[in-house]
Amino acid sequence: MVAIDPTMLMNIFLIGISGTLICIAVHFIPVGGAPAAMAQATGIGTGTVELAAGSGLVGLITSSYMYAYEPQASMALVMAAGAMGSAIMLASTMLAGGLIYAYGVAVPFASAQVKKDPITGQRQDTYVSKGTQGQGIPTICFVSGVVGAAFGGAGGGLIYFVLMGIYSPLISASAAAVAGVFTMGVFYVNSVIPSYGVGGTIEGIHDPKFRRVVPKDTITSFVVSLICGLVAVLIAGGMV
Amino acid sequence: MSDIKEISPNTLALFGIIGGLIGIYLSPLYPPFTSTFGALGAICAVIWGAEAVRRVAKYGLGTGVPSIGQIAMGMGIIAAMFGLAIVKAMPLAGPIVSLITASVIGFIIGWFAQNVIKMKIPVMIRCMTEIAAAGALVIIGFSAAVAGSYDFTRSLIPLVFDNGVMLAVFWVGAMAMLHPFNACLGPDEKQKRLLYLAASTGAITMAIIGIAAVMTLGASGVITLLLGIILWLIFYKKFWDEVYKDAAAVVGTGLIPKTEA
Repeated sequence: MVAIDPTMLMNIFLIGISGTLICIAVHFIPVGGAPAAMAQATGIGTGTVELAAGSGLVGLITSSYMYAYEPQASMALVMAAGAMGSAIMLASTMLAGGLIYAYGVAVPFASAQVKKDPITGQRQDTYVSKGTQGQGIPTICFVSGVVGAAFGGAGGGLIYFVLMGIYSPLISASAAAVAGVFTMGVFYVNSVIPSYGVGGTIEGIHDPKFRRVVPKDTITSFVVSLICGLVAVLIAGGMV
Repeated sequence: MSDIKEISPNTLALFGIIGGLIGIYLSPLYPPFTSTFGALGAICAVIWGAEAVRRVAKYGLGTGVPSIGQIAMGMGIIAAMFGLAIVKAMPLAGPIVSLITASVIGFIIGWFAQNVIKMKIPVMIRCMTEIAAAGALVIIGFSAAVAGSYDFTRSLIPLVFDNGVMLAVFWVGAMAMLHPFNACLGPDEKQKRLLYLAASTGAITMAIIGIAAVMTLGASGVITLLLGIILWLIFYKKFWDEVYKDAAAVVGTGLIPKTEA
């Protein structure tokens, strides 16, 4: 077993924080689920978990790339690399989705949750087709999604950074694989919990649902991630 | 529902836990030839997990069935790594510690989902616990089939983690557990059909794991591969027959009425 020391507690806390970052990230991403796939709701037409995990895992790849080529990199740098990778991944997903919604499905981009787009100030309600919850990916959703993906990538990068710090001295060559797989596990747990909270669809930061569900999802995610952090630190005890 | 007698969740849980553990414990006996038992144990856990997914996903999660398969594997992999790594002095306790850890993590997540996120699904806590435990057994079972043993630092890290086979175990294992209900759900869903499909997805996963085992263990991996394909053919045929039998029952409902009621 490992003796309790401040570094260990700090590591557990950091993993708790990174899990919470991933959880918060999910709320920012405009997820429309199946209705959005039929252009009957605002957002990207797939599930929360797929989007959060897809962008988050790309963030994990970019942050591990940074770590592999610059092992002395600071925590902020690894997190920034993760954030950048995730944000680019989600932005390209939304761009491709937007092209299909605009030129393939031919719907005007409109949000049903707000009267005016908080960024462009353009009216939304007149463009929402009857019987739908908005269509496509309006500007506010796009921006919210990019910000959210950056949070998720930063969270993934942070877990990876902390775990590499714990495992590298013990199993030098295999640390990247073990840390990567564990990060993936924490990622999936923390992307599914908020998706239960939001009930499958959310438009982004402007959605009234955002304020309603963020607190309880965050608490859940923080507690669960702390347990994951404790487990991650104890695993190191078994490798000595 | 229907008047057809269903297998009770307790029986299936016992089947999954006992079958899974026996398979996992048999896997390192005569390496590498007995590694196949790990995959057979994992199939028992897949069947148990798929039925637990069925019970909880029936209520409608709002996020689709795949999400629960992914959280199962997320919880399972964390618990499996912990359980196998922590028991350094006595590796025999590893799978059981993993099973207990997974149940605890699953219970906590289920409790939070029920009481903090307020999902209002009565079976949430129990099913989350079962799904996490099944996920851990699936991960350990298939990993043991690839590595020939469930020893974390000596076998699993070099033979399953380093070469990336773990990603296949994670994803294909998740698919095996979430696909049966995702494919069968609907008003005419029946437990028997789902269980056959779960056995067949478990078996096709075993075949894929067999390919990985050929890579890591050499020729003895062929046993896992061939047995996986044979089991898949058997159970897929059984699933096929069930589909035909159930489809015959709804043929006689007549055409859709021309005017709306």
